[in-house]
Amino acid sequence: MTSPALVEAARVEAATSRIRLMERLAPWALMAPALMIALLIFGLPTLYMARMSFNEYEYPLHYVPGFTFEHYGRLLSDPHFFAAILRTIRLSLMAAACTLVIGYCFALLAWLQPARWRLMFLALAACPLLISEISIIFGWWMFFPRNGLLSYALVSSGLVTDKISLMYTEFAAFVGLVYLTLPFCFFILLSVFDGIDRRLIDASSDLGAKPLSTFREVLLPLTMPGLAVAFSQSFIWAMGTYATPSALGPDTLWTMGFLIQEQMLSRRNWPMATAFAMVLVIAVATVMVFTRSVMAKRTSFHA
Amino acid sequence: MAANPALELDRICRRYGPVVAVDNVSLAVSQGEFLTLLGPSGSGKTSTLRLVGGFEKLDRGQVRVDGVRVDHLPPYQRDTATIFQSGALFPHKSVAENIAYGLRMRAMSRADIGERLRQVLDVVRLAGYEDRYPSQLSGGQKQRVALARSLAVRPAILLFDEPLSALDLSLRLQLRGEIKRLHDELGFSAIYVTHDQGEAMAMSDRVAVMNKGRVEQVDSPEAIYYQPASEFIYTFIGESCCLPVRIEATAVRDETGAAVALELGHGPGEGAWRLYVRPAQFKVGTAASQCENRLKARVAFIEFLGNVYRYHLTAGSIELFCDHLGKAGLKVGDEALVGWNKPDMTVFA
Repeated sequence: MTSPALVEAARVEAATSRIRLMERLAPWALMAPALMIALLIFGLPTLYMARMSFNEYEYPLHYVPGFTFEHYGRLLSDPHFFAAILRTIRLSLMAAACTLVIGYCFALLAWLQPARWRLMFLALAACPLLISEISIIFGWWMFFPRNGLLSYALVSSGLVTDKISLMYTEFAAFVGLVYLTLPFCFFILLSVFDGIDRRLIDASSDLGAKPLSTFREVLLPLTMPGLAVAFSQSFIWAMGTYATPSALGPDTLWTMGFLIQEQMLSRRNWPMATAFAMVLVIAVATVMVFTRSVMAKRTSFHA
Repeated sequence: MAANPALELDRICRRYGPVVAVDNVSLAVSQGEFLTLLGPSGSGKTSTLRLVGGFEKLDRGQVRVDGVRVDHLPPYQRDTATIFQSGALFPHKSVAENIAYGLRMRAMSRADIGERLRQVLDVVRLAGYEDRYPSQLSGGQKQRVALARSLAVRPAILLFDEPLSALDLSLRLQLRGEIKRLHDELGFSAIYVTHDQGEAMAMSDRVAVMNKGRVEQVDSPEAIYYQPASEFIYTFIGESCCLPVRIEATAVRDETGAAVALELGHGPGEGAWRLYVRPAQFKVGTAASQCENRLKARVAFIEFLGNVYRYHLTAGSIELFCDHLGKAGLKVGDEALVGWNKPDMTVFA
């Protein structure tokens, strides 16, 4: 064995291991900028919030550094707070379910249209996204009261005899939430429908399935994963929304968003507010992890 | 009593806006017949098939399956079954569930479905694949499942919508043989849409050539090849060379008016003609001088195609190519004599 050959072999060996190392690091290097932004803008504040929720509270101060589970305890033991959590979840579930049904029908309709109508559907669905939540709330203020659009429509159609106001009712808050989450739901579901081969509908019909059977046997199972995602997105969105339920709902409709705001700005109890916020974050994260795991199983046949 | 044809199309029409996709098409497929709709893309063959399947509405005309009018019925009430180009298998259902789908929709009993399932899986040679999902199958297997799914419901007529065009060549040849074998064994009636003339020729009892929404000729594959009814069919089926010439009393000229050295022993009279000859019918070199029709041309380039050498020649503005077994001893730039006999020439005005 001559030594130049050995040296050469060692050199090649070193070069290959260097390349291997770079190959391992490359994905991380590519992700670094996005990772940095995510950590700085979302990670750090969340950590700070988590820490804040364990601080102690004394009346005139916002918080006193310390470590206590008191606020989490209060969340669960105080019926007033616990009811708010339940109420928020219930309202969000109802809104998400309703959004899902409307969004699904709307997306199905848009999907079945020829291309030229489809654009109209897309534009229609995108409209609410172009307007700020506050403007939309002002719109509802002209829609729900006694002298609002809805009242006039109901009276003139003869459905009710006297003018009615639906302003500041839980129903108004519910409608507002549905309206807010509908576009997201629609676009998610439309993208799911777009992944389906239209020939499957033809094939199903060709094999003797009536339209309803085709829906039950083919469309529904194939859109199931998308339904789960759309539902969780709508639910998360509804959970975190503060302005719409506060502005349209009754004064007694204390959602989590409202309570966080109240604790933070009126009561100046930062640990309590952040404890609330942490519950919200954890609830949302749980829903997302759950849908992810459901998705992974449901889509396995596409692999 | 003679049985009704499996399928009759009676002057059916379908427009899409200003485009007439299917223009007054009349066809009949007798029981057990394998009829191919052959045409270039956009000729209306797939539209015709979709009208039969019920996926599109007719503007005019009638569709009768086994003598019964069906043109007003939705697909799920028609006794037809389509094999789609993509296969269109339900991705969330196993092979068995896919095949059983049509039977379940017909409310067949569980035992009968199991029996029928075994039969068709044997027929398409996929026994043992019941529990696979479409994503676990190859392209050829998918199409065989699609075929099995359609065969299972025993329709009055099977509609094939270019089922092999997405597959690679060797698989295409294998599956087309298999479909042919199944047709011989089972004797089903079928319409087969394709733009592949090889498929059409090899599989069909009769071929209907479509062009611009119309059926130009319905005949046996041999008749389509040897007695084409129109210039379109002649040029569409097989390869051919076109020699556009103007024959005058004293000379033969090409399209630019330049004289070409064409001697027509037997040919049309004076006037402008397009002479068509298949590339294999041309003779080159010494054999050419024995032919009734002869043309002096120059070798432009030579291609080796495996089974033959293809000589591309020019004479004035006329371009032609002839296939020659082995080398003809010609080089690029050489002047060559090309000859052909009258039976091998087809003339269109």
